[in-house]
Amino acid sequence: MAVRWQAQGQPAVTDEWLSQAANSRHPPEERPSVRAHRLTGDLRDTRETANMSVVEDFDYWRGKPDLAVAVAAIKALTAVIKRSKATTMMGLEIELKRASEELKEREKSSISLAAGCELFLRFVTRTSALEHEDINAGKERLIERGEQFSEISIKARQTISKVGADFVRDGCTILTHGVSRVVVSLLKLAASQGKHFSVICPEGRPDGKGIQTARELTAVGIPVTLILDTGVAYVMERVDMVLCGAEGVVESGGIINNLGTYQIAVVARAFNKPVYVAAESYKFARLYPLDQRDLPYDPKPVTFAEPLPPNMKVDNPSRDYTPPSCLTLLFTDLGVLTPSAVSDELIQLYL
Amino acid sequence: MADALVEDFITKLKRRQVEGSLVTARKTALVLRQVIAAERKPAPYQASQLIELVKNYGRKLIAANPTELAIGNIVRRVLHIIREEDVTSASHSAANTEDDVERAGPAGGGIAASTGNRTALLAPALKNLLEPTPQLQKPGSDSGSVAESESKRQEKPKSDRASWRLKHNVIEGINELITEVENFSSLIAEQALEHIHQNEVILTMGRSKTLLNFLSEAKKKRSFQAVVAEGAPRYDGHLLAKELAVLGVQTTAITDAAVFAMMARVNMVVVGAHAVMANGGVLAPVGLHMAALAAKRHAVPFVVLCGLHKLSPVFPHDPDTLLNDFKSPSGVLDFGEISDCLDSAAGRVHTPNPFFDYIPPELVSLFITDGGGHNPSYVYRLIAEFYSPEDYVL
Repeated sequence: MAVRWQAQGQPAVTDEWLSQAANSRHPPEERPSVRAHRLTGDLRDTRETANMSVVEDFDYWRGKPDLAVAVAAIKALTAVIKRSKATTMMGLEIELKRASEELKEREKSSISLAAGCELFLRFVTRTSALEHEDINAGKERLIERGEQFSEISIKARQTISKVGADFVRDGCTILTHGVSRVVVSLLKLAASQGKHFSVICPEGRPDGKGIQTARELTAVGIPVTLILDTGVAYVMERVDMVLCGAEGVVESGGIINNLGTYQIAVVARAFNKPVYVAAESYKFARLYPLDQRDLPYDPKPVTFAEPLPPNMKVDNPSRDYTPPSCLTLLFTDLGVLTPSAVSDELIQLYL
Repeated sequence: MADALVEDFITKLKRRQVEGSLVTARKTALVLRQVIAAERKPAPYQASQLIELVKNYGRKLIAANPTELAIGNIVRRVLHIIREEDVTSASHSAANTEDDVERAGPAGGGIAASTGNRTALLAPALKNLLEPTPQLQKPGSDSGSVAESESKRQEKPKSDRASWRLKHNVIEGINELITEVENFSSLIAEQALEHIHQNEVILTMGRSKTLLNFLSEAKKKRSFQAVVAEGAPRYDGHLLAKELAVLGVQTTAITDAAVFAMMARVNMVVVGAHAVMANGGVLAPVGLHMAALAAKRHAVPFVVLCGLHKLSPVFPHDPDTLLNDFKSPSGVLDFGEISDCLDSAAGRVHTPNPFFDYIPPELVSLFITDGGGHNPSYVYRLIAEFYSPEDYVL
């Protein structure tokens, strides 16, 4: 119904329309299926197909090895704008909100995905606030910026590598953790600048992400030592700095990263070694976890060589939260930031 | 003429005939003002040319004494002034073109130019991550957008006046900067009463003029006790102790080695600094890192006095070697003794005499600047206020 009114060019605000808007504003209270029931027939059809393809789109972009999660999300949302038949900015925003909810549902615990969706929605809101009289012009602008986001992401990675490589000194030993595209590109850049340094990688059980990093670095001739995850404290005395990526950077300036980052940061702090984080600014998320339980719980399967007794509990959460007091500096595409500068950036965006 | 002036200043910097951040900062600003005033390019005259000019001279000056971060700070401050003036004048001219009703087309161009310019001035921030920033990433390219240069070309009759106004405003801005640099010490001293209380014991090391002003201002209203560590190998603490005694402050002079022992009865450590880095770390005369650690151990506040011209947007990548100055060893070991060491075949005594210590931000409790008191974690905000991000790397 709502669509037909708009198509006829009658700007009528009805109760039904308002309730839809309210719905989309407070989506977490309702399951998507409940929401769908309350929509009128033809509207549900279009939305259903749009939602289907948003996830498909996301999966398609996610499959590309060089794309970050947030980039894939923004690409998928851009495709939603392209398909959208909305004739007002408000309508477009509602559709995008639905789509991003759908995406978040798809990967519930991904902080980076949520942050990317939020960033893009915020951009849409800000754009509509500008005087775009013509919706098509506004849409075109959004699509253009959304499509260029992967370039922004690549450029961000280059900027981070550039600002971060200065911190790599000749003859230093760097401890890293997990696998991060930014960290690898930063270290490659430092190596190409003629700096001689060595890297220590914990293996990263159970999925062996550390081994993957070690392989990539060895391929470009950087000397790498692989250690067990339990050997971090043992090697810390000969480490000069810890450098890791982040899945999300939260408002306190702390980071959320794959399991083990927190313990490495704690050990580094005990040894008074600097801990640097390389992360793109679109990973800044509006979260303020106070402890580990505030994170979305997302356990991963883990295998043991020995068979375990049946009543034994196994817990393998996939990520942990490292508080800002354990971090020294963040290398971002906005420059080198102290952890306290992160909240500043977030406030500027969302205020 | 400007060239000769710059060359002369560079020679003096290299010979360390001009030393100390205040003198250097002031002189740098004066030289740059001269350079800008002497620049006579034909109109249409653009801010980007001015920026290139200042950058070129700035690089030479910085290379003359890389450990004196105040030079780079002033160069970046001047660049920031030019960029700001450029934006205001661009929006000015856009407003002017709007008033001219006969040309409908260029008015839009003018607005585009001014908004384009404004985004160019904006720091890269999360909030404008998705906004188009065409010129920002290209190093060495003109700051003005294509639209701007086009509109400038169209406005040829006016550009003479506009460029004159730009230059005039920039020079005004530099004059303000010079006044700020000259007056920082008294502005810091004004805050002394807020920090020093009756009957407190204040420990300090070495001597700086800012420190003396600060303590003498406090002495006017409060009676306190001062403990002065001599600050080997410069021993300028002796001089400060004498000056404080003349002012009527109850003063104790100690050796540097006694700092830790003394710390237990001290209420506050107040010191001067050579430079403050972007992460809140401090470059200060040698020996102060030790004093800061002693203060931390005894939970005594470690307060650093510094003018805003000492605030540098550079991160300390390798502070012990890259940003340090090594002085003559005569202060550490007498010449006669050195020559004895050199003569003996048994081996040589190395006598490095570093001038600076790097103090990490976690050891600093407070910065007192001419703009007020600030926490080390707040330094990044101050830097965003005074410098343009595209000038961080010159």
